[in-house]
Amino acid sequence: MIREYDSDYGDALFRRALISVISAAVLGGCVTSRVEGVREATTGIEEGEGVVIMAKSYHLGNETEAKFIACVGDAVGRGSTGLRVVPNNEFVDALFPWFEPRTAPAETKGLPDLMQRPGVPEKIAEKGVRYVIWLDGDTDKVAGGGSMSCAAGPGGGGCFGFAWWQNDSKYQASVWDLSGLEDAGSVSADVSGTSFLPAIVVPIPLIARTQARACKGLADQLKLFIISDENT
Amino acid sequence: MSPKLRIFALALIGATLVACGGSQIKLADPTIPEPLIDKLPLSVAARYPENFSHFVHEEVVIGKEKWSIDLGRANEILFTQLFSSMFTDYRVIPPGTDPQDLAIDAYIEPSIDAFEFSVPSQSQTEEFAVWIRYRIKIFDDEGNQIANWPISAYGKSLTTTFGSDAALRRAAVLAMRDAAALVILQMDKATGISKLSAATLTPDVPARPAATENPTDEKVMQTIATEEPSDDSGI
Repeated sequence: MIREYDSDYGDALFRRALISVISAAVLGGCVTSRVEGVREATTGIEEGEGVVIMAKSYHLGNETEAKFIACVGDAVGRGSTGLRVVPNNEFVDALFPWFEPRTAPAETKGLPDLMQRPGVPEKIAEKGVRYVIWLDGDTDKVAGGGSMSCAAGPGGGGCFGFAWWQNDSKYQASVWDLSGLEDAGSVSADVSGTSFLPAIVVPIPLIARTQARACKGLADQLKLFIISDENT
Repeated sequence: MSPKLRIFALALIGATLVACGGSQIKLADPTIPEPLIDKLPLSVAARYPENFSHFVHEEVVIGKEKWSIDLGRANEILFTQLFSSMFTDYRVIPPGTDPQDLAIDAYIEPSIDAFEFSVPSQSQTEEFAVWIRYRIKIFDDEGNQIANWPISAYGKSLTTTFGSDAALRRAAVLAMRDAAALVILQMDKATGISKLSAATLTPDVPARPAATENPTDEKVMQTIATEEPSDDSGI
């Protein structure tokens, strides 16, 4: 049966689209997030001391996105409890060649030897870096499905269908205390979320921003972790 | 054909030609930061191959675009900065100069063995990666080769961060920094160049006692190094 296009049909279509969008929005809000910290040593930060946020070396297979590192850096430096964040390229250049992907220490047991290198303790003091935060992990698409088709003609075009995908953002931040040359602990964020793309004429993306959530969760927890002097 | 249609067709052809033209990337003269190291007390001279002052690598990704990377003088600048930071006395000698006529402890001949890269369409990732294989030959003050050291450097950059051309450029710069870090970290260990220092040579220990008497011993002194990234940190 061919239904003639009229305003009632348009309203019905709009209502149906609205219901789909609201339903999808409710489902799209289902992002699960877990942020945990493991403390190895007492922390704290003095006036003039700061942190540098680095990606673990890609020579070790790490694939942390540059934009995630920038996001954590911004978030750690922001707010009333914000820490002083030294830009990592500035730190890496100042310490050249000891924090290059090939040469950066992989474990804290390498720190005493690093501090013996000529000029290294002086440069670290000059930059005012107390903690090095090493980021590891990435965001992956772990599942997806649905289908959508779009068509266009002389009278207009549109898409119909429904697609979804699930992203997992898993990141870990290891905190090294350069004053004690020790591992202060780590903070991890595991965020999982499903994005939806319903389309009734117009596709409406409902994106689960897992990476952004992981960035905020990790940064907030890192600030608490460093400022807090609890030894749990 | 109407004038509007003709303009549209020409624009379409132009856009297609531009899209198929590939990318031409020129590396701005890179610099490495001043390394935090103690200089070796050596007087060293080096001569660069011709392609150090103008190195162009071209590659056609099968079924895809053509890439051309012009490193320009990047290698010349890199090694001059690097060796100037590593040795107390360093000079670059022009072609035609015999290094044995100079009062030096060591003579170095760096070269590029290979340059490779991968783009996201090849690796099915968002990464641009660059590999550069250099070779460093070292000679003593008598012109005997004491080391022939290949080094492999690697750099990687994400396309989403910098855009395609900038990402490949960034990967090339990171590969060159990687080479510099490797040379600083491993050169003396791999080649024994510090043993050529006139200051460390004593009269009762001849500079090269075996090399002139027993050619097989010279092979022992040659360095055929390999790179194991996990062992390179030295920390």
